[in-house]
Amino acid sequence: MTRYIKTAVILFLICAVCTALCALINEITAPRIAANVESDRITALEDVSAGLTIGEQYDVGDGSINYYIPLSDGNGIAGYIVEMSTSGYGGAMTVIASYATDGSVLEAKMMANSETPGLGKKAEEAWYMEMFKGLGGEQPLPAAKSDLSAEDNAAVSGASITFSGVSSALINGSQFVKGLGGAV
Amino acid sequence: MSHMKELTKGIFKENPTFIIMLGMCPTLGVSTQVSNAIGMGASVIFVLTCSNIFISLLRKVIPDSVRIPCYIVIIASFVTIVEMVLHAFVPSVYEALGVYLPLIVVNCIILGRAEAFAGKNGVLDSALDGIGMGIGFTLSLSLIALIREILGAGTITLFPIGSFDGVITLPGLSSSPVRVMTLAAGALLLMGYLKAFFQWKTSRSQGGKA
Repeated sequence: MTRYIKTAVILFLICAVCTALCALINEITAPRIAANVESDRITALEDVSAGLTIGEQYDVGDGSINYYIPLSDGNGIAGYIVEMSTSGYGGAMTVIASYATDGSVLEAKMMANSETPGLGKKAEEAWYMEMFKGLGGEQPLPAAKSDLSAEDNAAVSGASITFSGVSSALINGSQFVKGLGGAV
Repeated sequence: MSHMKELTKGIFKENPTFIIMLGMCPTLGVSTQVSNAIGMGASVIFVLTCSNIFISLLRKVIPDSVRIPCYIVIIASFVTIVEMVLHAFVPSVYEALGVYLPLIVVNCIILGRAEAFAGKNGVLDSALDGIGMGIGFTLSLSLIALIREILGAGTITLFPIGSFDGVITLPGLSSSPVRVMTLAAGALLLMGYLKAFFQWKTSRSQGGKA
């Protein structure tokens, strides 16, 4: 019995010391990480705003749409920035995109993700989102790899699950924007 | 064995990737770009060295029946520390390594060295073993990544410094790369050839026939 208690105490002490060490490092790094995340978000909003004025943020939080921000061109609402949650090969992903009021994609950017470097991570590169631009309004967004041109199909080769995740997020965002009907 | 041999054995004689064949998952997964390989290698060197030191220090305290859970707790703590530090101070490397960074916890090299070496040897030898094995892993990973990236993308991706954007583009190869080298099949193919080469070199140095 004494042997079991001694073993449990040693295991507890090792866990306690390790937890304390992690907590200390977290205390030091957490503000910097939060600042980095916020800075990335602001940069992404500016990147996808397509030169339009960014308005106030409206939280949605329905599981697939996190929030939306109206974009105005001086005469009224010209589009929206929508942040969407989806899943890829490495788990949860966040995609941020701007849409015209008809639901067509203006700009898009991959944010937080754990996709495979060299494969799914390609979705972070600017050329990746080019295949979705201008689609979602009159012309539908690609829902599967078979909807892509041969060149785009080859470009997303090896990362089909990432493509499906990005594509489904952009389709959800497009439908959400259509549902807003140009209103806030 | 001298201290210097503990440091150098991991680089060639007991190279974790090509000789002991440990840590294959991150080796094949991360070796698509040289910068990723260097970032992963540096993280493994840090975790391996720190965990080896702590496990060696605690080897007489840790009961044999719970040594594996203790090793995992220590290794996971150092991986978490590396993850937080990279996320805060080098976010580009943190994002590039993605899922492979937390997976260092289950990297066979770390647990393998803890079990085979640090749990039975002194602090200095364990630290040198960690550094040597880490450097061996980093060099192997970088070699695989260099060959895969050159053939598969026609580029060499390093870290941006000043006006240098970090990417060296090789004319000819970048316009018509051997795309399979960026995929898992290419990684396995290359790994097989490199393993055969190292096997041949080892056999030759031992005086046997390849």
